[in-house]
This record gives sequence, C-alpha cells and structure tokens, in this order.
Amino acid sequence: MKTGRKLSWWKFGAVTLAAIIALTGCSSASNKEGNTSPAKAEETKAPVQGGELTYALATSPVSLDPHTNGLAVGVRIINNLYDNLVVQLPDGSVKPWLAKEWTISEDGLTYTFKLRDDVKFHDGTPFNAEAVKFNFDRVIDPATKVSNAFALIQPYQSSKVIDEYTVEVKLASPSQAFLRNISQGTLGIVSPTAAKQYGEQFATHPVGSGPFKFVKWDENSEIVIERNPDYKWANETAVNQGAPYLDKISFKIVPEEATRIGSVQSGQVLAAETVPPQNIVSIKNDSKFQLLSTNTGGLPYTLFINQRKQPWNELKARQALQSAIDVTSIVKSLYLGTYDQAWSPLAPVTLGYDASLENGVKKDLDKANGLLDELGWTKGADGIREKDGKKLTLHYVDASPNREKRNDIAAIIQQQLKEIGVDVKVDITKDYVNQIFVNDDYDIYGNSQVNADPNSLYPFYHTAAPTGRPTLHGYSNAELDKLLEDGAVEKDEAKRVEIYKQVQHHVIDNALIIPIYVFPYTIAASNRVQQIKLDALAYPRFNDTYLTK
Amino acid sequence: MGKSVFVRIYTSLLVLIGALIVVFIIMNVLPGDPALMMLDPAESTPEMIANMRHQLGLDRPFYVRFAEYFVNLLHGDFGNSMLNSDPVLPKIIKHFPATLALTAMSSAIAVVIGIVLGVLSAIHRNKPIDLLARLIGLFGISMPTFWSGILLILIFSVQLGWLPAMGSSGFKSLIMPSLTLGLVGAGFIVRMVRTSMLDVINESFIVTLRSKGLSERAIMYQHALRNALIPAITMIGMIVGEMLAGTVVIETVFSRQGIGRIIADAIMAKDLPVVQGVVFFSAVVYIIVNLLVDLSYSFIDPRVRRAS
Repeated sequence: MKTGRKLSWWKFGAVTLAAIIALTGCSSASNKEGNTSPAKAEETKAPVQGGELTYALATSPVSLDPHTNGLAVGVRIINNLYDNLVVQLPDGSVKPWLAKEWTISEDGLTYTFKLRDDVKFHDGTPFNAEAVKFNFDRVIDPATKVSNAFALIQPYQSSKVIDEYTVEVKLASPSQAFLRNISQGTLGIVSPTAAKQYGEQFATHPVGSGPFKFVKWDENSEIVIERNPDYKWANETAVNQGAPYLDKISFKIVPEEATRIGSVQSGQVLAAETVPPQNIVSIKNDSKFQLLSTNTGGLPYTLFINQRKQPWNELKARQALQSAIDVTSIVKSLYLGTYDQAWSPLAPVTLGYDASLENGVKKDLDKANGLLDELGWTKGADGIREKDGKKLTLHYVDASPNREKRNDIAAIIQQQLKEIGVDVKVDITKDYVNQIFVNDDYDIYGNSQVNADPNSLYPFYHTAAPTGRPTLHGYSNAELDKLLEDGAVEKDEAKRVEIYKQVQHHVIDNALIIPIYVFPYTIAASNRVQQIKLDALAYPRFNDTYLTK
Repeated sequence: MGKSVFVRIYTSLLVLIGALIVVFIIMNVLPGDPALMMLDPAESTPEMIANMRHQLGLDRPFYVRFAEYFVNLLHGDFGNSMLNSDPVLPKIIKHFPATLALTAMSSAIAVVIGIVLGVLSAIHRNKPIDLLARLIGLFGISMPTFWSGILLILIFSVQLGWLPAMGSSGFKSLIMPSLTLGLVGAGFIVRMVRTSMLDVINESFIVTLRSKGLSERAIMYQHALRNALIPAITMIGMIVGEMLAGTVVIETVFSRQGIGRIIADAIMAKDLPVVQGVVFFSAVVYIIVNLLVDLSYSFIDPRVRRAS
C-alpha cells in the first residue's frame, strides 16, 4: 500500500479515539447506576401463584443424578428435584423431612428411620424403605460412577428394610456427621424405578420427589423444571408446606459474568448467581434490583503449606509466611469489601467455629524476618535469602481458570513475600490435579470445600490412611488425629464444639495453613422476585418464591 | 472439471483422517486425565481413580482406542461422551444448526460490509469516507471479540434494551453475536478489496475504458469491481473458517448454544469422543465451503473456465 506510511498516524489516532469512546461509554454507564437512590421496595404482599422464574447460572451441571453429580452448580438444581431424609437448619440442627423420626443405637452404629407414608416420586411410584435402601446401596456400588456422594455417605455399611416405612441403616463406625451428610443434596433420594429404567441416562432424565419436576435440559442453554402439584412434604425451613408458587423455573447457563449480570440489568432474566465484586456494589445501589448473599459453610479458601518440602517442615519457616502474608489487604483490595476474611480452617457458619481466632494473626515483617534469620537463611545481593548456597524459593501452584480471583492472590503474595526475601514461583496450571495429587509438586496450594459439618476437617487434617490420598500439608500429629477422631463421634454437642475449637487452634498455632476468604454465594435479582431463601449450605431454595408484577 | 472435483474430494478425505489423528494424539499428549476431572480430587482414593479409568476404557493402549474409534466411525458411530454418556452424533446434529446460522450470518455481514466499504474506500481514496472505512476495518481486526461483544451488550441490552444479551432463540438473538464476529471478517475483506480495487483502477484497460468515454460509474461497478472481486472470493473461504473458529468465543460470551461451546467444554474435560466429533464436522464444513469457492471461480472468471 503506497499510502501506508503516511497514514500510520491516522491509524494510531483512530485506535486511541476508539479506546476513549469505549472507556468513557463504560464509566458513564456505571456512574448512572451509582446515582440512583438506594431505597429498596420491601414487599409485604401475599404470595402470588404462577409465573416463570428465569435464573442465570455461571456454569453448567454435568449430571442431574445427585449421586454422580460432583459440582456445586448441579446441587442448585438437584435440590429442587429431590428430597432428603433429613434437613439441616441454618443453626446446624438436624430436623425431619422424608424421615418423620429416627433413633440411634447406643453404640452409634445403627440408625432406624421411620419414613413418611404419603410421598410419591414424580413418576408416580411410592417412596418407602425399599427406596432408601436402594439409594444408599447405589451410592456405594462401584458400578455407579459416583462422585462426592461416596465420600459423603461414609461410614455407611448396609440397610435393612424392617417394614414398608421403616429402614435400619448400619454404619461401620460411629459418625456424628452422618445425619448432616445425608441432608446434603448430593445424597438426595432418587426414584429406584426411574434409576433402573434409565441407567446411565438417569443423569439427564432425573426423577425424584422434590417440589419441582424435571421438564427439559437444553445443553448449554437452559434447564427447565416445573411445579410438582402433588407436593405436600416440604421440610420446616419452608413456610409453604405445599406445592411451590412458581409454575416454572428456567435455569439459563451464562458463563460470561458481564453477560450474566447484563441479562439481569436488561430484564432478560429475573435473577443471576455469582455476582462479581465490582457489580455487587452497583446492584446494591440500584433500586430496581436486590442482592442476596450468604457465606458458605465448611472449609473457607485456605492455602495449605506442604510440609513434605524443605524448609516448610520447620514451624518457624511456616510462621514466617503466616506473619509476612497480609491477608487483610489481599481480601480488601481484590473483593472490595464484599468477601469476609477467613481466620480459621472452618467457615464462620459451621458448627464449632472459633471466633476467638479472628484478628489473631497480624502482619509483622520484623517477626517474619527474625524467624528466617534464626533458621540461618540470610539475604543475598538480590534480596533473596540463601542457605548453604540454596535460594529460598516457594513453589505456589494454583488452578486455571482464575476462579474467584485466586490467581491474583498468588500474584499479590509473590510481591508480599519478596519483602522478606522469599522468591515465590507462581505456577498457574490447568493440570493441577496431576501436579498436586499425583506428583506432589508444590509448596503452597489453595483449596476450599462447601460442607455441613465440622467433620469435613477430618479428610483434610487427619493423617492419611496408608492406602488413602495424602493430605495437602503432609502434617501428621497424634494429638490432632485424636481430636479429629473424638470430634467425629462425640455425642454431646457442647463437648464437640470444644474439641473443634482445639482443632482450629492447633492448625493455626502450628501454621499448617493460611486461611484467606469465606466464599459468599450471591444472587442479583429483579425486585419482582420475592423470597428466594438460601439454606444452611448457601444453596437457593424456591419453595416460598413468588413473583410480583 | 469433473476429474478435478473428484481429486478434491479424495484429498479432502485424507485431510479429514489426518485431522482426526492429530486431534487424537494431541488430546492424549495433553496433561490431564478425564477420570480425575470426574472425581473430586480431594476425596478420591487411587482405587476410585483406577476404577473410573477402567470404566471409561482409559486403561487400554492409545492405538487400540484409536483403531476402535475409527472402525466405529466407519459404521457411523461417533461414540458417547465420557462425561455424561450422551451419544455424540445427536448432540452435534442438535447444536450444529445454531453454529451454522451464526457462521453464515456473520460471514454474510463480513462480505457485505467488507465489499461495500472496500469499494467505497478505493473509489474515494484518502477522502474522509476512505478513512472511516479503514477505521472500521482496523477496529474489526484489532478488537478482541470477547471485548467488543461485551461492549455491544452494555450498549444495546443494558443501556438501550433493544436486543437480548444472551440466548439462541429467535433472529434478534443472532444480531449482536453475528455483528461482533462479522466485523472481524469485514476488517480483513475491506483491506483486501480496497487493495485489489486500487490495483485494478491503475491497470491500462481502465485507462482505455475512460478514453472511450464510459461514465466513471460504469467503469467502476461493471469493470473494475468484477476484477477486484476475484481475490476477495478466495478470501471468503478463509473467512468462513475464521468465523467458524470464532464461534468458540462468541457462543460463550453471548451464551448461545452451538458446537463452539461444546468443543470448548469438551476440551476442558478432555472428553475425547466429543472433541473428535466436533472437529470432524467442522472440517467437513470447511472443506465443502472451500470446494464451493474454488468452483465459483470458473463462473466469475472466464480465464479459469478456459484453463480447466
């Protein structure tokens, strides 16, 4: 092109102009939202029957069979299609649902459940003791491609049908977590007839007894469920004990977060989940929308320090990390005040959480430097510490894609630890499963788990069985093991709480981990949507939900 | 003519088989294990992983699995998804129309915008209209689609409320995605048409036509454009391929159904049968389009017709 050189300044100008137009376009849009009045209309009308709720999900489920589903997003839908034997209330107590009552034998090994006799699955078949036995046996059957359900049902051994509506469940060892675990969506009760009929296709042809029935699953587009008109066995968390008010719920799958929030703001959907921090503020300030948010229970997002690697097997080295990493500023700057900082291996909503740990660990660079000096690591010319000719490096592995800005946490910690002379090598990889669990190739790796019972600490902190998967930190301590074993079986709740407080102190005092943040499940919704409830595990429930004009 | 079509189909088949082999090898060399993707890594024991690998057939050697896959393919069996046991062929047949619609619509937008702006830009060389056309072309080429797509959503869905932000039902939902993608193709075509148009304008036969007293309009649209379009048409084959590849990003941004999203998810999960199936279908479309483009030369350009 002959005129190319002469016009290159034009090109530059044009690109700059386009960028300016685009950027000012964006910022004026957000200003507008910020200026609207923060007042929210509080509806106190009677529930309205009918209507369709459109609800945008961030990811797609893989299976709607509770036992083979391994994803939290799957549970959000599964919870509407299936019921459980028992329900956990937000205060941690366990109440009847499909099981009217139950007794536990003195040795804690036998649970006898009396079941409701008026429950029918969506295919018309009755729910009974045989169905419970079929479900629990299905979960431990190696032929079922089970996912999380297998770990959750442990230490289940067998079931015996006593009569039509009585079932006896045997455990291999006592477990105080068992009832809370069977309250989770992943152990929902499926229709035995349908499960046998569909086989592996049950994942896309789900049949349960829940308040909503499955209609269709249009892959990557939407999953539609409709009101179960026969429903009359809701648990006590729902005000409405009968069939739900909504005719239909369409779960749209919208992975791109800007599109997901955009589709709520444009009115194309009524609600969207997992609101990014920058949008949380603007949704809160907009009178046409509401923001629902609940912290999840179980294990918060926690960095595990691998003690199978030198020098992190030494307490002082780990304490140096604990004092040098400024978690408060990380959480504030990345999540703009919308996420809570974690202080313990347990999330605050979980039974046994020890609030006295809060604000316990403080950033103290002098302490951190002092500890590393004591260990003989001295700063070299480049500011990185050395000992016996070896540089002090820390291999920080994190998974891709960048879920909840976890990769950014790694980048900030890399900068923070530079100040005490630790060279952090950040390794963001898709293949984290192999790197962490197969090759043990990391010094720090972060993980979290939504769970109902403090016994969720057991697989993460108890010394691994010889054939089992090693723990992330590789720490093994008889005292901690004993506490976790006692916690699993202690029947007196006050004593149990005391045990878990000791566990949490042990973990923090020995600097096994750096807790980072508690993940809140968030929903941005139009003000037309009333009474979406978030349950004990922060999953949305729609029994009481209705739409106003 | 007939012979050359036969040769083209024959080589196309070889290309198809080659594509399948390459994908099979890449998917096997890539790190990651479908069995581990299906289990919760924090909770599964080596025993559970081994059991899952066996159920998925991953414990057999790679060449055995490929041979089996290929034989099944010859029988029209594309296998089942490893993730949820869904049969692959019906899945692709179901999702392909949406991707095809997006590809066709964005290719059409690319061609129409590209040719119109390219011609205007050449005729009004260095005038404001030329600069504007080239600015649009530059924007199309250089802006990443996930960014320009979100910008369109902010303007036309959130602010103006004219178009749906996501979904794949109805014509309205096709407008923004195909515009986002079409602008990329248009950017390439504008530059191509402009350059070849300028080359033709400077050729001696145009000077001859001018000296014969033909109107400038007739010269440009009847003689110059026809000659300038030949290189542009070659490019259309490539643009369709580009648009097809672009659907991977666009379908995610606008949350549309389609095989672009299916293959993206399948690659993440290392769901080999699904990846293979989508690659097979995309390759077939690409090959057919390029075959049609080659054949269309002979209708547009008499020189090609005479040569064959």
